[in-house]
Amino acid sequence: MTETSSQVAQAQSTTFTQAGVRRGFITSQPLALGSLMYGMTFGILALGSGLSVVEAVFMSLTIYSGSAQTAAVGAISVGAGIYATVATVVLLNARYVLYGATLRPWLSGTTTFKAYSALYLLGDGNWVVCMKARAAGESDAGFVLGSGLAMFFPWMAGTLVGALTGGWIPNPRALALDFFLVAFCAAMMAGMLRARPNYLAATAALVAALLADRFFSAGWPIVAAGATGILTAYCCKPRPSDGIA
Amino acid sequence: MTVLGDKVLLFLALGLSTYGCRAAGFWLMGLVKVTPRVEAALRAAPLAVMIGIVAPAASRGSAAEIAGLAASAAVMLWRRSDLLAAFAGLLVVAGLRALAR
Repeated sequence: MTETSSQVAQAQSTTFTQAGVRRGFITSQPLALGSLMYGMTFGILALGSGLSVVEAVFMSLTIYSGSAQTAAVGAISVGAGIYATVATVVLLNARYVLYGATLRPWLSGTTTFKAYSALYLLGDGNWVVCMKARAAGESDAGFVLGSGLAMFFPWMAGTLVGALTGGWIPNPRALALDFFLVAFCAAMMAGMLRARPNYLAATAALVAALLADRFFSAGWPIVAAGATGILTAYCCKPRPSDGIA
Repeated sequence: MTVLGDKVLLFLALGLSTYGCRAAGFWLMGLVKVTPRVEAALRAAPLAVMIGIVAPAASRGSAAEIAGLAASAAVMLWRRSDLLAAFAGLLVVAGLRALAR
């Protein structure tokens, strides 16, 4: 009884409440607009590539990954087979393996069903928001689901509206909305670099990202940088102040 | 055009493989003992992924996009608000793109 492993302590401290879901949903609202616009862009693109409205919406519902869906539509439109299309999607989504791994300590204290439901809605934007909230002391696992929902609803609505209205919306590129995720990540990066991270891991990640960008196709730099950063940090001597968690 | 047609199977396969990626990392970490070393490795992940997203965009971005990234980073360090910083970057890129036309 007196022996308290960190695993047990973690399980006891993890709650999943409605208040947590609401907090995650509200905290992620700034990214919801980007999700809506991105969804609309995808809807328009899917229709332009010969998919029906129902197909576009079905795709957003089952895959729920903008980059993967865009690549898949591209592959379908040039007549790629099911295996090549699946391989493309897996490569683009390999970063989710890293995201899922980082959520283990947080979500493992809740029920299996709740954990795997929250994972269905895992994306770039809400993962960033979750990591930041976690670093600021958020411990409610509902937060992860809430922030996922905040991104998912506008994504579905955007897909439907984009597919229905076709070329009606203003050019998202003129509003620089295609740049939103990168700008947000640059801001996060600047904040993280301030917080005395593992600089060796960060440098290794940078080199890996640039090399992968030069020699491999889109989607790979993220995987290469993430994996390299993780491996480098694993090989370094652990310090209590390493980066954000 | 059929409503869903022969693509249902393909979309389900794509959805399943995407969810597989989302669940796999979480599941695998359940098999690994979380030592301080593993924790340090996971802590390095967010920044490494950010670098993976930003560095390629910066290395082959237009002048407008590089200015936008610089604006985002500067506003972040100045105001400590990532949302404000992201919008500052957006504003710079949209403005410079409009000027370039």
